[in-house]
This record gives sequence, structure tokens and C-alpha cells, in this order.
Amino acid sequence: MKHKLIFLLLILLPILLSAATGCDLQDPDKDVKRLFPGSTGFKTSYLSVAKSGGKALLTRIETALGDKFSGTYETMDVPYTLYHVYKNKTLLGYVHGVNQKGQYGGLQVFLALDPGGKILGFYYQKLSSKNGAKFKSTAFTNQFVGLSLADFKTLDIKTGKGSGRAAAIKNPAGTDKDFLFTLRGIKKNLVLMNVFIYKK
Amino acid sequence: MDNMIIQSKDLSKIYLRGAEKIVAVDSVSIDIKEGEFVSFIGPSGSGKTSLLHLLGCLDNPDQGELIVDVFSIMKDGKSLSEKKLTPIRRDLFGYIFQKFYLIPTLTVKENILLPYAFMPRNGERQSAEAIAEKLGLAHRLTHLPKELSGGEMQRVAIARALINKPKILLADEPTGNLDSKRSDEIAGILSDLNKEDQITIILVTHNPVLAAKAGRIIELEDGRIRD
Amino acid sequence: MPGISGIAYKNLRRKRLRSVLTVFGIALSTWVLVSLFGFNKGYEASLNKDIDNLGFQVLLTAKGCPYEAATLMLQGGKGLRYMPEGIVDSLKTNPEVDELTPMLMQTVFDVNKGEEGGVVGYLGIDPQTYPKMKTYLKFNQGNWFTQNDAMEAVMGYEAAELEQREVGDMILIPEKEIEVKIVGVLKRSGTQDDGTIFLPYKTVQQIFGLPGQLTSVGIKVNKSVDITAYEEELYKIPDVQVVSMAQVKNTISNLVSTARVMVMSIAIIAILIAMVGVINTILMSVLERYQEIGIMKSMGATTAHIFRLIWFETIMLCFAGGVIGSAMSAVLGKVTDSVIRYILPYAPTGSLVRIDLALVVRAIGIIVAIGLFSGIYPALRAARIRPIEAIRSADGEF
Repeated sequence: MKHKLIFLLLILLPILLSAATGCDLQDPDKDVKRLFPGSTGFKTSYLSVAKSGGKALLTRIETALGDKFSGTYETMDVPYTLYHVYKNKTLLGYVHGVNQKGQYGGLQVFLALDPGGKILGFYYQKLSSKNGAKFKSTAFTNQFVGLSLADFKTLDIKTGKGSGRAAAIKNPAGTDKDFLFTLRGIKKNLVLMNVFIYKK
Repeated sequence: MDNMIIQSKDLSKIYLRGAEKIVAVDSVSIDIKEGEFVSFIGPSGSGKTSLLHLLGCLDNPDQGELIVDVFSIMKDGKSLSEKKLTPIRRDLFGYIFQKFYLIPTLTVKENILLPYAFMPRNGERQSAEAIAEKLGLAHRLTHLPKELSGGEMQRVAIARALINKPKILLADEPTGNLDSKRSDEIAGILSDLNKEDQITIILVTHNPVLAAKAGRIIELEDGRIRD
Repeated sequence: MPGISGIAYKNLRRKRLRSVLTVFGIALSTWVLVSLFGFNKGYEASLNKDIDNLGFQVLLTAKGCPYEAATLMLQGGKGLRYMPEGIVDSLKTNPEVDELTPMLMQTVFDVNKGEEGGVVGYLGIDPQTYPKMKTYLKFNQGNWFTQNDAMEAVMGYEAAELEQREVGDMILIPEKEIEVKIVGVLKRSGTQDDGTIFLPYKTVQQIFGLPGQLTSVGIKVNKSVDITAYEEELYKIPDVQVVSMAQVKNTISNLVSTARVMVMSIAIIAILIAMVGVINTILMSVLERYQEIGIMKSMGATTAHIFRLIWFETIMLCFAGGVIGSAMSAVLGKVTDSVIRYILPYAPTGSLVRIDLALVVRAIGIIVAIGLFSGIYPALRAARIRPIEAIRSADGEF
């Protein structure tokens, strides 16, 4: 009987998994509490470039990012999950993650942001790298705290060069390309937050 | 012309109404010649309609003998089965009633031709138009019964009764629902049919003018013929 | 010149609303009936297709080993057991076997996955036999491996989406720090293969140092073979367990038969209601036309004529209702599908309700037959009317 049940589960599994893949927190309750220790609750909304403005918006996003959206998975209709974090009725900030193609797999780049657009925290929910420990170390991730989109304005995400505080951050793993992919992921995250929320 | 088309001997019909026995037709013996025009008169309940039904093979007698054309309808206390009566009614008789009994969903033409729906396909057929013409209905063929006057409706019923070329036409109060002008019209038609086409006509009526068209008037009372 | 069918048709138009309502009632019953037949047929077919999509009817695994990579990951990557590769050759000699495919599952712990790390699973397959069993797997990009032991991977659609991988990209096998090249990305199949990363099983043996080891063998049995009997044979092999898809199918069928009985009862009730409706309509129309029918009999209509007249009316109502109901079931097939999906405890993928011409003809046939049956009593009542009774009842005189 146990075998039969497991098989039923196996057949049902694809149905459970078939939802479109965006970029959700693995355990929203726990993750939000960790990123905003003072929070009492959060609200979730789902956004996409296609729904919010379509092709024209995509062009604006690409210009701001300094790169084209590319590949099979970075499309206009990818759903973005945005968590609005509250302490009672006061908005503490947002949690927003994006998928970013990396060297050996998908990066999931999550930012905790204050209501004005300043980065409160950055972490990888997912990362496939030989230098994973270096990228995930707080020595590297904490360098992004306090930055906002304005600090990335002159940063060329293809080379990592430019002026300002973001461009000053060094690759923690020598020449590992995942550094550049990370910068692109963070900038993409900020650009999307700007068009969805801050609208500066 | 002296061929008898209907011969009855001691013909009786008894109904039971509750425990009461009502003798509607009481030992009636009557002979009707082919081509004769006979009318039955008498008060309500005199049994004239019951007698008409018996002679027209619509109802089964309880006693006596009845021969219609070449058929023994009732003999030795036995009447023919419903199954055998059906073709006799179809081929020998045409019936006309006080209430015209037209089918409301069918046109005049279809009503006239209705008997053909129940006849073998190979039989000889008359056209509805010819009969309609004769009865002054030519312009009404495509109409529905509800669009006709009472007189026209009865003429349609007559046309329907004639479509199978019956030898005998039975008419039960054919003018009962009509005013005097229309009644005269119908009386004229029946009279013409009898004279020109030699159709035997048996008529039941209250109407003395209509009854007077007949060659022979038989008066009934309490189910018996009054001498 | 009116025929009997013409008279019947015109009569139905006399009380148009009543006829329309009766037809509608019959149409609803037909809808239920057609959908039910369609369900019996479509459900069976969809279930069989789901089972066929698994590719093999029997899965042989080392005793205690989970069945598939996804299950393995759900269990946290624990419990892998192995059996020697040689078993494939010995199974090949069995006459019952149509095709075989060896598999080797492996998992690694990826410290970079999530906050606390997570398990990643790989399924080692044989590029010669596996694709033949899973013919529904189609490529979005690329193709299967170039060699039996190539350092190459094929990813299910969802796995590729999660890893943002395209053909030509690399993936890293954690712990081993080995790079593998993506040569193919599959289209969505709606099965758990969507979330699977495939490698040649020889490559998996090599990377994880498991020469000559397998975790499972998929067996496609010849069509004529009694699977249950063959499974008994397989149990004689030491240290293996047999997982049968036929068993799964039975379990699901049992679950559904309860629901089917429920649907069947609804159908029978619907048919009974339609039947009562038909009897009522026709009987009323007979009683209303008592005199008309009597007059027709005086004109020479036989019992058979009248019986036919009334039967025609019944057939017309039922046929119209049957045709409309079938059309409804065809048009509303999707709605029916989702209603059934909602009711059933388990529904396979693919369309549940399959409606074809043969089925529609059968349903209309049944409805007309039911109509004929319902028409018998009113038609007999009508046929038995004697002309004299009809006339007398109208005149009230004798």
C-alpha cells in the first residue's frame, strides 16, 4: 500500500510543480523575519514587465541596465514576486529576488530594500559556483548595504568598471565571472524595483 | 336502383347508466335503398343519433341483425371486430358531425386529404382541388381551420367525408352550429350530392327545413320508429 | 397530402412551449449520457496514456532504493542502494522482456543551494534505450548525448529554467567540482522528467566512482505477457523490489469507480426524469386530441396508424433532444471536463471526456429507444380509442 501511495504522489508531482517559475523566497515567513527582524507581517504581489508596460517598458529597463534581456528564460512575462514588509501598519521595506544566469547555473539574487530604495541586505538564495563560500561571505555581500540604484548608474555590468561606490567593489574570487553576473543581477533587481515601485 | 344498401332487423342498443338500463335503440327494423335520402327526426333522447351510429358502424349493436352493402355487420348476436369494421367505415362511409372535428394544425387541403393518410397507397385518388371547387372552397385551400367561418368549416368536413367516394354519407346535426343562411347552404349541398352523385344520405336533425330535403323522414321516439 | 409523420410534426408545433421544454429535458439527459460515455472512454484512454508515458510497466530497483530521482530528492538523497549492471544482461534473456533500460541515480549536497544547502539529484540513463521508452520527451534545444560516457547533460525544462541553462552552458556538479556541458534542453512534458537532470549512466558511474553499479532497471514487457505473473518471476531475483505501474493503475481505477457510480446514478436519474417528461407530454397530447383521434379512426385509421402517429411524435421529440444534447456535450466538452476533474479524487492529464461520432450515435440511439419505450403507453392509450367513444364524449348525447 505504501508503494502505491508513493506512486500516486509521483504521478501527481508534475501537476504540483507545473506553476510558472518566478523567483520566490524559499520560506517567506522565516526569510522575511531574518531580513527584517522587527517585522510583524508581509504582503505579496506579483508583477511582470508584460503586465506593467510591455515592450516600451522593456526598452526602458534595458537602457537603464545597460544590457539586453536575453536567453530563453529572461523574458517579458517572467513573474516577479515582491514582498511588502510591515511592522504593524508601517512599511519597513521590500524583499525582491531575481533570477540571473550564472557561470554554472542560476543565481537567485535577493535584496532587502528600505522604502526609499536603499539596499538593507543582499544574499544569494541559490548559487552554483566553485567559489561559493567567497561570494556568500558577509565580507563581500555587506559591501552592497547602503547602496541604491544611483550608485550603479555608471557601472558597466559587462566589465565591472565605472565610477561610484558600486564600481569600487572588488571581485572576491579573482577573475570568476560570477562576480559580473552578480553585479548584473543586483542592478537588474534595482532597475525593476525602480520601475515597479520607486518610479524615480 | 332498388338495391338495399342498409338492412336492419330488430336492432337494439342498451346502455347502462349506473344501475339504470337505458334502451337507446329498441328493436329497430329499417331498410334503406341505395341513393335514398333519409332523415331521422325526434326529440332529444329519442335515440336517433344512437341509431345513426349503429347504421354507420361506429357503434356495435347489442341485439338484432345488420347488413351494410355486402357485409354482415351483426348476425346471430355477434358483431364484426373493430379490425374488420375499420376498412368498411373507410371505404363505404363518409361522416359529418355537428362539431366539424377538423384538425387545427392542418390546412384546409390537408384536412380534406387526411383520410388518404390511412389508406393503401395504390387506391384511386381524387384531387382536393376538384372537391374544394365543387364546395366553393377553392380559395381557402391553404388556410387553417381557425381562419374559416362555421359554414366553411362544415363544407371542409363534407369535402373530407367525400374524398374517399363513399356510398353512404352520415350527417349528425350538420347545421347544429350554423345560422339559418349557412344551414340552407349545407342543406342545398347535401341535396345536390344525393341527386347528382346518387350518394345515400342519412341525416339526423332537429331542423325541419333540413329534414324536409329528405325523400323519407323517419320519426323516432324512445328508441323506436313511430309509425 | 399529409403523411402520418407530417401530422405528427405539425401536432408538436401546436403546443410549442411544451414541446420545446420536453426537448430541452431530453437534451439535458443526452448531455449527461454522452458526457458519461465520453468520460468512461476518455478517462480510460488518458489513464493508459499516463501509464504509457512512464515508458516501462515494471521498474526493478535495488531493495530499499527510492524509485526515481525526484523521490530521492524529496527524501533528502538518502537511501540509495545498488545492484550489479550484469542484471541487465540476465534480464535480456527473459522472453517476456520487450525492452530494458538501465538507470543510475545519484545525489550530491550543494552547500550553496538556499540558506542551509540542499540536495541535487542526477539521473544516469542509457542514451540508446531510454529515449525509445520515453518517446514523449521532445527537445526544446539540442539533443541527447554524443557518447555513452560523455561529460554531457540534458535538462528537463523546469530544471533548465531554474538553472537558467541553455545548450552550450556548463553546470557544476558540487562536491566533485566537475563541469558538465549542456547538450539538450527538453520541452515541458508535464511529468517529473521536467525537473530532472539527465547524464549518461556510464558518466555517472565514472564521476561518482560506481563502476558496474545501477540503482534501477526499467522493463517494458511484451504486450501479450501477463504482467502480474512476470512480476512474481522477478521477485525471485535476490535483493530487488518490483514496482508495477499496472498496480498503480488499479489503485487509481478503484478510487475512481466510486465517483463513476455517483455519476452513473445522476445519469440514470436524468434519464428517468426525461422519460417521465416524455410520457407526460405525449399522454397529455393524446388526451387533448381524444376526439381528433376518434375521427381519424372513423376515417379508416387503424390501431397501427394511430400507434405510429403517436410514436412518431415521441421519436421526433427524442431525436431532436438527442441531437441538441449531443451538440451541447460537444460544445461544452471542456466545461464537463473541468466539472469531472473537480469531482474526481484523481484525474489523469489529457482530455477526460472523449466524444466521437460513434458515441454520439449510440447516445442518440439510446435516447430514441428510451423515447420509444416511453411512447408505448400513450400510443396504446391512443390506439385503443374507439371512434364512438370519442364522438359521444364530445356530443354528450345518444
